[in-house]
Amino acid sequence: MSEAEAQAAAGAPARMPLTRREFLYYLWGASMALFMAETGGALVWFALPRFREGEFGGVFSVPVAEVPAPDSGPKEFAEGRFWLVNIGSQTTADARQPQDYPLLAGVRAIYKVCTHLGCLYRWVPVNDRFECPCHGSKFLKTGTRIDGPARRNLDTFIIEAVNAAGQVIARSEPSLGSQEGSPVPLGPEVVALRIDTGRRIQGAPNSRPGGGR
Amino acid sequence: MSLFRVHLPILDEIKAKGLKPALRDKADDVVTRVTAGLNTAEVRGVLRGDPPGRPNPRLKPHDEGFWLHMRPTYYHNLLDGLYPTFRLGWLSTFFFAFEVLTGVFLMVYYTPSPLVAYENMLNLLSNVPFGRLMRDMHKLGAELMVIVVALHMLRTFVTGSYKKPRQFTWATGVVLLGVTLVLSFSGYLLPWDQLSLWAVTIGASMVEAAPPEMVGRTLNLLVRGAPEIGANGLLRFYLLHIIGLPLVGVVALGVHYYKVIHHGHSLPPEAEEVGVDTAKRVPMERRTYFMPDILTRELFYVSALLALLIGAAAFFYHAPLEPHADTLVTPLHTTAPWYFLWVQGMLKLGDKVLWGLIIPGILSAMLLVLPYFEVGPSRRYGDRRVGLSLGAVAVIALAVLSYMGTPYYGVSTSPDQEAIATLLPQTHPGPLRLAPWEELIVGSYEASAWSSAPTGALQDLLQAFDEEVQRVESAERTGVEGIMVIEDWQAGLKKITLRVLWTETASGESGEFSQTAYLHRDSNYGQGE
Amino acid sequence: MKWRILLGTLAIASVVGLLAFVALGERERMAGFTQSYHARQIEVGAALFENNCRTCHAPQGTGIEGLAPAINAADLFNGQRLTAIGYSGTVEDYVRGVIAAGRPIPSSGTNYPNRMPTWSQRYGGPLREDQVDSLVAYIMNWDEQAPGGAQPTAAVPSGDLAGTDISAALPQGEAESGQALAETLGCAGCHLLSTVGPAWRAEGSQRGIGDRAAERILQADYTGQAASAEQYLFESIVTTDAFVVPGFEPGIMPANYGQRLGKQDLADLIAYLLSLR
Repeated sequence: MSEAEAQAAAGAPARMPLTRREFLYYLWGASMALFMAETGGALVWFALPRFREGEFGGVFSVPVAEVPAPDSGPKEFAEGRFWLVNIGSQTTADARQPQDYPLLAGVRAIYKVCTHLGCLYRWVPVNDRFECPCHGSKFLKTGTRIDGPARRNLDTFIIEAVNAAGQVIARSEPSLGSQEGSPVPLGPEVVALRIDTGRRIQGAPNSRPGGGR
Repeated sequence: MSLFRVHLPILDEIKAKGLKPALRDKADDVVTRVTAGLNTAEVRGVLRGDPPGRPNPRLKPHDEGFWLHMRPTYYHNLLDGLYPTFRLGWLSTFFFAFEVLTGVFLMVYYTPSPLVAYENMLNLLSNVPFGRLMRDMHKLGAELMVIVVALHMLRTFVTGSYKKPRQFTWATGVVLLGVTLVLSFSGYLLPWDQLSLWAVTIGASMVEAAPPEMVGRTLNLLVRGAPEIGANGLLRFYLLHIIGLPLVGVVALGVHYYKVIHHGHSLPPEAEEVGVDTAKRVPMERRTYFMPDILTRELFYVSALLALLIGAAAFFYHAPLEPHADTLVTPLHTTAPWYFLWVQGMLKLGDKVLWGLIIPGILSAMLLVLPYFEVGPSRRYGDRRVGLSLGAVAVIALAVLSYMGTPYYGVSTSPDQEAIATLLPQTHPGPLRLAPWEELIVGSYEASAWSSAPTGALQDLLQAFDEEVQRVESAERTGVEGIMVIEDWQAGLKKITLRVLWTETASGESGEFSQTAYLHRDSNYGQGE
Repeated sequence: MKWRILLGTLAIASVVGLLAFVALGERERMAGFTQSYHARQIEVGAALFENNCRTCHAPQGTGIEGLAPAINAADLFNGQRLTAIGYSGTVEDYVRGVIAAGRPIPSSGTNYPNRMPTWSQRYGGPLREDQVDSLVAYIMNWDEQAPGGAQPTAAVPSGDLAGTDISAALPQGEAESGQALAETLGCAGCHLLSTVGPAWRAEGSQRGIGDRAAERILQADYTGQAASAEQYLFESIVTTDAFVVPGFEPGIMPANYGQRLGKQDLADLIAYLLSLR
């Protein structure tokens, strides 16, 4: 009888010392666990979809000439599923803009999908705002919600401004204060904007009537 | 105040025994359930190599658990190692599982349509991390599986393990061999490149040749979904490959393995009395128990095989990708996949119905019913000289027929085309495309003057060309010359023209055969695909 | 027994390391494959161009006057041609679209008698989509070296010009050189590959142009000045509207060959044409 059995027969909990063989088995088991974990990671990387440039999910490159002028109406980019909006001094002075979401000048790429339940909202020039046909959510050109059942501002995509050499000289980051993507200023050296539709920044929470946190 | 009390049994245990003992008992309980019968102490006993208690608790997982329910609890100690079976049956099952796993992952990136299948291959290789590795592993596994299954059949034949009472096991094994071959063949078509399309067209045309004519035509339409292999054929082959044949295979494998266990693994022939099957009566002192010995060995085989397969696929085994399938052009020297070369060899002997269908059909049928008419009682090698000799003859015949199936035998076209095909083959890159691009200096070169070529690569190419061109020389053709012209054609692109010139002795007219290839600096053919 | 455990652990550990090693190189390998496949596409495109496009667009895409425009031209790659027709896509889109779907309407300012046919199977042509893509890759590869505008033809010294006097004496012509010239000048486009101009080769009961030339001048409706088969051919090339074969339109055959060809070239051409019986 092994000492394990002797102890088990005695009713005491088995307290067998670790033999070398047992230890090696545990080592092997650990290596197999590591292998499974690595394979799991590799399979996830394998199976994650990747998008090429120009496909929704990938990067869209927009030359500066095609960016709308400051304070003009938003410009639609259908395959990228975003509006490009150039916030100028008139837009920042808009009285309807709620105080909770301070504005900087620059370009934003706003996702065309309403943050309520997924319909594509429209630009209504007469009212100078976005209006969603499904349940009536209304947003300003800047993407801020001012009315309707949506509970947050419109989502935006990360924009990188590149110069002629292809270097990134500005990008929109989620800004700490408002949690939203900051607009990207169009400096003189900017040659194109690269809008990454694979990386989306959610709009800040906005549920008060008339807009606000 | 709550209306009901939550009853957690674990809390009662903790109250009764104390925290640590209660947790330890709970862990013990979980371990017993997961292993289907072994508690922690018993598991550790297995790992330490201690002798089991009485009654042997290590038999419980075989009894109570699903995964081990068909596995034997012990092996005869003459059969617990690699010899004499080389564990080839186990290896075949391993490869089947390996192929299913790699195959399922490849399915994420494949659509069986001629419009996108080739593009899917390109996407897999250029835009999917581990895409090439997954594809190479799948192809390597497929080729090895065919070899392993064939070797398993050979081993079973040699040790006479097909004899009574194991005749039906052998029959299901032949079915599994057929399933393996057709699985490999149907998968071959899926990349939709020139190699796939024409190799499978050859095979599928055999089906069309089945007599009587109506049966053949109908079978052909069923298999291809159209007179020629196109969108319908690809879809049907895909369905066969991913679900039709795997289902048949799993069922046949289940029956096959069940019968193997039911009758017991047959012992080496010298270890038994003639006519006595002692496989099921293993004396205690000759038993090697599944846990831990056989289990450890199998885990070891899995580990070693994974290392070998992934290593081979990562470093030197790469599945080729020929140009896009072209239904209008059959490449020179197209062959069937290597495990069907013997059929292609037989087809060169005469009528396609006789040699392609009737004879292979008869041979397969004979293989299937072999144990029902080879009923000699002894499995010993000395008593089966005739059978073993026939087996050896069959293996040699297969080898010879396979050689005959290659393009070297009986399919050469005129020597001038062969000469150019040596440098510019139509079924794989070949020496010209593999030569370093910078060493292909622009200019016009005569093959006979190969030693004065400016670079080493050119010298090798021209020398090989010259050797082939000499063969064009014959009674009807004299004054044979080979010329290679290299021109700068576009940015990073060179145009290479190979010409074979001769003079007809009869009429004095000159004849020429030439072929052009374009080579880009970055096309990088030497990578395997 | 223990050695199996050790070797097994070693094998698994080596697989872990191996997979990590492969993972590190994957990005580069994928980029490399993309590049090498693009190169192979160019190779396939070059072969396709040689077999399908060369006869009209010339071997290096330099175009043939009166037959097909230059593709290997800077004004294509810098977008000028696109703006001229108001095309809003990229140059690559334009090239792909023209190859696939042809050009039913000429760009303004051009008057190629033949329209570019459709090539994609989608529009009734012979090529698969991947073949069209290969051609596009080949053509786009001319971008860096595209010369400005169509290649000027080498000027012929004025003393040697063929001129329009069909009674002038010509040197001995060589049919083989004439055949090569007919190809580079693009005559094949109208006279061999299509029916824009009278067929040169024998067709059915109609003889080749070499024989027809002698008969033509004896016909009642002949309006030209030629007195022999050679002179007839000379006339057809340099004074194109002196006589137009019934059933064909005047003003389509380019009329300036007298100023473009040298005497020897013309003699070679005539010798070639006479050999087509």
